[in-house]
Amino acid sequence: MSPHNRADKHGAPRRGARVRLIRRWLPRAALFIALATLTAGCNSTTVDNLGLRNPLTTQAKLVVHLWQGSWIAAICVGVVVWGGILWAVIFHRKRGDTVPEQVRYNLPIEIMYTVIPFIMVGVLFYFTARDENRIDDLSAHPDVVVDVTGFQWSWEFQYPQYTVKNSANGVTEVGYMWNGKLGSSSNENELPLLEIPDHETVRFNLTSNDVIHSFWVLPFDFKRDVVPGHPNHFQVTPTGTLYGGPDSIGRCSELCGLYHSRMLFRIKIVTPAQFTAWVTAQQKLQNASGGAQ
Amino acid sequence: MTTYQQPAPAGAAQPGVPQTAQRGYHKGSLLADWLSSTDHKVIGHLYLITSFAFFLIGGLMAMIMRAQLMGPDNHIVSDQQYNELFTMHGTIMLLLFATPLFVGFANEIMPLQIGAPDVAFPRLNLLSYYMFLFGGSILLISFLTPGGAAAFGWYAYSPLTSAQYSPGIGGDLWIMGLTLAGLGTILGGVNFVTTILCMRAPGMTMFRMPIFTWNILLTSMLVLLAFPVLAAALLVLEIDRKLGAQVFSANSGGAILWQHLFWFFGHPEVYIVALPFFGIATEVLPVFSRKPLFGYKGLVAATIAIAGLSLTVWAHHMFTTGAVLLPFFSFMTFLIAVPTGVKFFNWVGTIWRGQITFEPAMLFILGFLIVFLFGGLTGVILASPPLDFAVSDSYFVVAHFHYVLFGTVVFCMFGGFYFWWPKFTGKILDYRLGQWHFWLVFLSFNGTFLVQHWLGLMGMPRRVANYPFLPHLATTLNDISSVSSFVLGASTFVFLYNVYKTWKTGEQVTEDDPWGFSNSLEWATSCPPPRHNFTSIPRIRSERPAFDLHYPHIRSGRERVDHHKQSIGAGS
Repeated sequence: MSPHNRADKHGAPRRGARVRLIRRWLPRAALFIALATLTAGCNSTTVDNLGLRNPLTTQAKLVVHLWQGSWIAAICVGVVVWGGILWAVIFHRKRGDTVPEQVRYNLPIEIMYTVIPFIMVGVLFYFTARDENRIDDLSAHPDVVVDVTGFQWSWEFQYPQYTVKNSANGVTEVGYMWNGKLGSSSNENELPLLEIPDHETVRFNLTSNDVIHSFWVLPFDFKRDVVPGHPNHFQVTPTGTLYGGPDSIGRCSELCGLYHSRMLFRIKIVTPAQFTAWVTAQQKLQNASGGAQ
Repeated sequence: MTTYQQPAPAGAAQPGVPQTAQRGYHKGSLLADWLSSTDHKVIGHLYLITSFAFFLIGGLMAMIMRAQLMGPDNHIVSDQQYNELFTMHGTIMLLLFATPLFVGFANEIMPLQIGAPDVAFPRLNLLSYYMFLFGGSILLISFLTPGGAAAFGWYAYSPLTSAQYSPGIGGDLWIMGLTLAGLGTILGGVNFVTTILCMRAPGMTMFRMPIFTWNILLTSMLVLLAFPVLAAALLVLEIDRKLGAQVFSANSGGAILWQHLFWFFGHPEVYIVALPFFGIATEVLPVFSRKPLFGYKGLVAATIAIAGLSLTVWAHHMFTTGAVLLPFFSFMTFLIAVPTGVKFFNWVGTIWRGQITFEPAMLFILGFLIVFLFGGLTGVILASPPLDFAVSDSYFVVAHFHYVLFGTVVFCMFGGFYFWWPKFTGKILDYRLGQWHFWLVFLSFNGTFLVQHWLGLMGMPRRVANYPFLPHLATTLNDISSVSSFVLGASTFVFLYNVYKTWKTGEQVTEDDPWGFSNSLEWATSCPPPRHNFTSIPRIRSERPAFDLHYPHIRSGRERVDHHKQSIGAGS
């Protein structure tokens, strides 16, 4: 008795060809509709970036290019392998009682599928190493320095170049942890504000005094952990302005305790003139009051 | 037939076959038999049942979390409860489900595949099970403590785990429970390595071992290298918390030190819970393609390469810390894609030009191939530090991780259940229900996790109880994910009903090999096997002794199958 017969005996009796056709194609149609719905939700910019948010720094543009190239390579591999699987599933299903050829080895093919992946990862690694050196480059003299302190559960941004009387830290921006009870729309303005100038090199120094946080700004396509006892640094050069919208919300992306999900901030990328106006106004305010607002 | 004899310990259950046990006079006597048995098959049952129970508990937690995420600011659970839920979900799924599941399958199948009567240390085997059971129970009990369960995430980054930031006994129970369960896993590893190296039947050379057994060997060696590091780190953490040591305190570099120690365990752990399930896939594919495995020796080499490389890639979990040598760990991580790719080509080569049939076991393994490939591709993308910087710690990683691990562990677990159920119980699980089960799991799994890639790219961090200020599309995608996850959870009822129905009305299997084209030695003994596994062992002259026994006339080339098989035991 073949295993197939046994299976049939356990299952439902055979039905008409139409029922079988529907049963065969229904799941596939459902999958297709689900995929179509998903892809329809994306607008053209995110499609160009293959899902990544609109990059707003020179470093982020490198990330997006690497992202696009890597996905193209990945999709090619996926098409070959998925294609091979589906081809066998469709065309090499059981059609008789002939035992297929008992192939165990095919050395040329085995060598081929070992060597080609080596070449592929070599190429990927070349571009990765090149871009990560550029993204982590700290050599350029920064125009603006921001000291970022993460704490449970909010952020503090200090501009040490803009000194304030009676304070060692310069202009300081803090705000409140997001609290849903106050209503999410009006509450956005309570979040700590990080403002940086467009087209100038900005250096971030990241420190934490309690647990590990992670500093994530969507249009940078970048995040860096904020580790107690291990100061981190990175630089970006914005290439465009950002005044609001979903991308202007920065987040903590490393679990840091109870209110991790509420540890948000706002980021604004403004023109250099607007930045100078804003930061000197803050400086004046804080000089008058003798510290951060 | 090996000459090894395991003397039955006094009071232990003699009939290793629970369904035909003659001693079931008193209520609970089966339970007592099982809980005191040193038969590797019974201990395998215990492991599989217990880890499946943990799977159900962890899955329930996941669905509570998905319910919470159906809106940007839901209040189904509090922030604290949510943190406890994802911490315990991750811990349970990795260390109390996937890891003991590997031990369960290894116990059930590996001694049969090498023609051994039992594992090398049967009593140690049962002790390991109890360590797992009690360690896991300690973790679950922590939910009942006043401060609740641990809430610092399954990789427990210091200094969040310190007595200052995570007071309460939940954290201590988490640490000590995992240490105990981990010790059980280490002893299991010792047992399997010894068994495979010392107790193979005559003729079963290393290069005739089935790939599943190879993978158990390599996995057990990884266990011996990785789990002691975890145990040491956990105990030191407990000393920090209770006795005031400062090993993981931030001002002495403890934050990064913990990450190194944890991931030196944690990355091999990912392969510890992947390799055995790759092994299951490799056992199933040839049987339902009616072909031998393609490229056996290349596949063994690839598995050895994966096991070796898995010890060199741990810091790719730490790219965003700014404290690791990016090019080295990036290159090693890329490199591990090569042997994994080789495995894929071996699997495709095995089904290529076969006579494929779609029994539920085969469906689940084909589903695994399709799903795991996508997880592998996003894994290669994450191996590139610049891209990791963009998507690390977001839902993109959550999605990648579930494609890799759910795709491997759960799909191959069900594949293994449908495949070996006759060997476990003597009955074949219902075919039609199995098909329904597969399609429900496959579609709802993709519905749950595919959309999470986009959520991560939109800016949703992992481990958040709420997600304010994300675009409205994020709520829609979360809803799709949540509804699919409920279907995914419900699909388990189909499986459980199948188990019940098969238990009640399933037909007893009379052949050694109900699938007709099986290869490895467990298909050359009865379903289920006798207490010491074999009444006779066939000659082992290739890596497919059962196939050689049942089809002595097929060497290679196209020949018609004679459905009237040789009488069992011939050729021994």
